[in-house]
Amino acid sequence: MIGVGKIKQYSNVLDKPLSKGKQEVSLSAFAFLFSELVQYNQTQVDNIAELERRLEDAGYAVGARVLELLCHREKGNRRETRLLGILSFVHSTVWKVLFGKVADSLEKGTEHEDEYMISEKELLVNRFISIPKDMGTFNCGAFVAGIVRGVLEGAGFPAVVTAHFVPVEGQQRPRTTILIKFAEEVLIFPPSLVTVLLWI
Amino acid sequence: MAAICSLYIINKSGGLIYYKDYGSGGRMDTNDSLRVASLWHSMHAISQQLSPTTGCYGIELLEADTFDLHCFQSLTGTKFFVVCEPGTQQMESLLKVIYELYTDYVLKNPFYEMEMPIRCELFDINLSQVVQKDRVVLLGR
Amino acid sequence: MAPPGPRSGDAIFASVERVNAELFTLTYGATVRQLLTDLEEVEEVNKQLDQMGYNIGIRLIDEFLAKSNVSRCIDFKETADVIAKVGFKMFLGINATVTNWDADGTCCNIILEDNPLADFVELPDTCQGLYYCNILSGVIRGALEMVSMKTEVTWLRDVLRGDDAYELQVKLLKQVPEEYPYKDDE
Repeated sequence: MIGVGKIKQYSNVLDKPLSKGKQEVSLSAFAFLFSELVQYNQTQVDNIAELERRLEDAGYAVGARVLELLCHREKGNRRETRLLGILSFVHSTVWKVLFGKVADSLEKGTEHEDEYMISEKELLVNRFISIPKDMGTFNCGAFVAGIVRGVLEGAGFPAVVTAHFVPVEGQQRPRTTILIKFAEEVLIFPPSLVTVLLWI
Repeated sequence: MAAICSLYIINKSGGLIYYKDYGSGGRMDTNDSLRVASLWHSMHAISQQLSPTTGCYGIELLEADTFDLHCFQSLTGTKFFVVCEPGTQQMESLLKVIYELYTDYVLKNPFYEMEMPIRCELFDINLSQVVQKDRVVLLGR
Repeated sequence: MAPPGPRSGDAIFASVERVNAELFTLTYGATVRQLLTDLEEVEEVNKQLDQMGYNIGIRLIDEFLAKSNVSRCIDFKETADVIAKVGFKMFLGINATVTNWDADGTCCNIILEDNPLADFVELPDTCQGLYYCNILSGVIRGALEMVSMKTEVTWLRDVLRGDDAYELQVKLLKQVPEEYPYKDDE
C-alpha cells in the first residue's frame, strides 16, 4: 500500500520544521508515564529527600529544553533580561505550553527580597496522585520545581526552586506553591545591569 | 427511598481491597468483610461453571428480600459490587463510574501497589461526590 | 437493554482530557536520560524501559477497557485490531495499522504513523543499540497479560535507528485460561 508505513524523513533532525506545538496526547498517557517515573525513582533512593532531588533533576532537563524550544518559537530568539520578565514568562508562557493554562498566581515573597512564589490550586502532575500519610510533606511537584529551575537557570537566573503543599482554609485539599529563591548574584547583578556595565 | 448500603472492590485473587459502608447499620468488621469478599469471589467463579452454556461471565445481579447486589467484573478480574436496597436503580452505571474512578485515582497513583488495599485520598473524595448516603448522584461523565 | 457498543479511538480521544504532546515527549526524554545515567549500559536501559512499560501496561489496560467498552475479544486478530485502532489513538492520538498476519493468526505487525515519544530525538553515537521507544513494547505486553494473553513484543523497524517507520511485532505465545478456585486438581 502506498504511503502506509513511511514517515517523512529528514536527513538531519534539525531540518525538520519546528512543530507549532499543537500535537496532543491524552492526559492519561502523561499521568501513567509520570507515575512510572516516580515509581522508578522510588526504587533508586533510601529517603524522601533523595526522591525529591531526583524528580527535580528530571524536571530540570525538561525545563532547559522547554526554554530552548520556546525561545525559538515564541520570542524570535530574543532573550529575557529582566527578573520580572522571566518570572512572567514562566508563569504564563511556560505554564500555558506545558500545562494548558497560565499559573494561578505569581507573587513576591513578603519576608525575603529574593523569593517569589508561583501557586496552583492543583498541579497537573498531581492530578491523580494521593500522597500516603507516612510520606509527610512530600510533593511530586518537585518535578515541576525542577522544570522552573531549568528554565530560570537556562535564562541566566540561577535559583533554588522547591514545591510545597499549602493548606487552604475551608478546603479539603491543599494548594501547591512553587517557591523560587534567586541566587544572590541575580539580585545584585541582574543580566540587564551586566549588559549596561559591559557597554561602559 | 432506594439507597446504597455498601461497596466492595476485590482484586483478581479474591482479596478485598476496598470496603465502604454507607451507614446502613449492617457494617462489618474487617475480618468479616474480608471473609465475605473472598466468599463472593468464589461464588462468582462457581456461577460461571454452573452455567449450562459457555461464555457466562458470572453473577451480575443477586436479588434477595432485603437487598439487591449488583456486581461488575472487569476483563482484568477486578470485581466491583454494591449491596443496596431492593429496586435501587442505576447501579450498573454507578459501578462503571466507580470503575473509571479506580482507573484514575488508584491506578495512576505511583504510591498504590497493585492488588493491595486502596488507600488513596483522591479516590475517597471523588467516590463520595458520586455516591451520597440516601441519594445516588451520577455526575455526567 | 443492550450494553453500549465499543467506541472508536477518535471518539474516545476527543472526549478525554488532553495535554500538549511536548510535555509528554520531554518527560519521556528526561526518563530515558535518567536511565542512561543510572544504568550506563544501553542493553540495561532497553530492559528497564521494557519493564517500565510493562508496569504501565498492567495499569493502563483497565482504563482502556473502561473507556472503550470493548467486550471479550473473539480471537487474537480482534485484539490486535483493537490495540491499533483504539488503543494507540485514545492514549497517544496516533493512527496505527495491523499488517502481516501469519497463517495461525497468532503473529502480526503494527505500524505506527507517528510517535510522540520520539519527536525531535536523535540518538548520539554513544547510544547505538538503544531502543529508545522500548517502553511501548512493554506497555502492550503488560496490558495483554492482564487479559490472559502472554505475548512477545519486539521492534522490527525504528526510525531512530535509521529505518523509515516504527513497526512492532506482536506474537501471541499463550492464552492463559482463567482459574476456578474450586476446580479439582487433576
